[in-house]
Amino acid sequence: MGQAITETQWSTEQLSSHLRRRHPLFVLDVRAREEFKRFPLEGPGVTGINFPYFEMLESGGLDDMVDSVVACVQRDLVQQLPQSAPILAVCAKGSTSEFVAQGLLRLGYEATTLEGGMQAWGNHYDTQTVEDSRDLGIFQISRPARGCLSYVIVVDGNAIVVDPLRHLHPYLELARARSLKVSAIIDTHSHADHISGGRALAGETGASYHLHPYDAIHPMDMVPASFAYEQLRDGQVFEFGKHQLRVLHTPGHTLGLVALLVDEKYLLSGDSIFIHSIARPDLGGQAEAWAPLHTRSLRKLLALPEPTIVLPGHFSTFEERDEQGVFQASLAKLKRDNESLVRLQRLGDADFVQFLMESLPQFIPEYVEIKRVNTGLASPAEDDAATLELGKNVCGLAQASAQGEVR
Amino acid sequence: MSIAFDKVLDARGMNCPMPLVNARKEISKLDLGQVLKVMATDRGSVADFQGWTKVAKNVELVAQETEAADGASLYVHYIRRTA
Repeated sequence: MGQAITETQWSTEQLSSHLRRRHPLFVLDVRAREEFKRFPLEGPGVTGINFPYFEMLESGGLDDMVDSVVACVQRDLVQQLPQSAPILAVCAKGSTSEFVAQGLLRLGYEATTLEGGMQAWGNHYDTQTVEDSRDLGIFQISRPARGCLSYVIVVDGNAIVVDPLRHLHPYLELARARSLKVSAIIDTHSHADHISGGRALAGETGASYHLHPYDAIHPMDMVPASFAYEQLRDGQVFEFGKHQLRVLHTPGHTLGLVALLVDEKYLLSGDSIFIHSIARPDLGGQAEAWAPLHTRSLRKLLALPEPTIVLPGHFSTFEERDEQGVFQASLAKLKRDNESLVRLQRLGDADFVQFLMESLPQFIPEYVEIKRVNTGLASPAEDDAATLELGKNVCGLAQASAQGEVR
Repeated sequence: MSIAFDKVLDARGMNCPMPLVNARKEISKLDLGQVLKVMATDRGSVADFQGWTKVAKNVELVAQETEAADGASLYVHYIRRTA
């Protein structure tokens, strides 16, 4: 024991590409049951079980972790583990799962362990290309475990970063690899589910930081932001050579939410329209007042030309990815397939507001504090920041089929 | 608050699962009713010791404390041998 390094260790990059290819995967998650419930490893083709490592120790009854895993698997898990498919052992930080994988390997299973565990997976970023033509680039940078999406727009050697997430390396690496100057950073709104990397990235690169003034006030505390920023306004146009980015004020999810139209072709919708769902209007604690605004804003977006490609701020399942691995869809497709948008087209305003009010998922208490951080009113240490952000975002409306699963 | 204990296990700097694996070993060396104090720096140990003491038949969780030490958090668990 001690040098429990298995030969077969997966990086989060390997896990991500496995999930992208929709290959089946059996996960043996050995974290405590509450941790597992709060943040399970999800993906197309993922099945598995949660069996805490301390239950393995008790069931195995031996002093050595690997010996206990072997004894426990033989006693409790033989029926449940696949004999001829890979098993990914997963824990919080990737050390306990190495012992578990060793035990499984000793028994002849095809076992691997996830390097860095769920903590590393929660912090994993993917970059997908939306468009990469000679004079315009659009990249979708996601945190797949959290369902958060951000964007880098590349024009004339400049990078405009939209909704950067907490870790700056994906943006800085992209800028370095393509010799880009990060010139502007836009937060489409004050996020509730994750800590924005916007101000930190602005500090790091010298870029300007843009936010709508209505979102520079914490909606519950009614305290204004403590930082300097440039104010976004409805109809404002950023010109970049022959390309332009138009700001549409779309209040509803927040009062200062904006959507961004790139060349009248791509709609960076922030938290308004998602692929399978739409944003919830209650995270400012004002659902009754904000739901009618949300309804009006959604109608404004639906009136855009149908070929417009929607690039949302979140996803909730990997099924929302297209064949290229990008979370995107045309407005025409969304008007047809997005259940909430179908309803919006069918219902009058009052009925749609009622539908919104009846579809609100559980309120997440951490979101109030995250908004404080994003308004500059609190600055948590890394450990606390990670804990605040744990698990998948719940910024979308509860979908009828998934209603019971929303935490 | 001061909690009486009979033995200390210093698991600072140890990664999961070692704080719990070692606590399990140490507790078996104690007499019935005696309390082991475990000091850990792994934040995950908080939920793990709660979960473990629920399923293990010979221990109970007396208390858990979090202390700030040199800018880092110290997680302290008091466990009694019951069987």
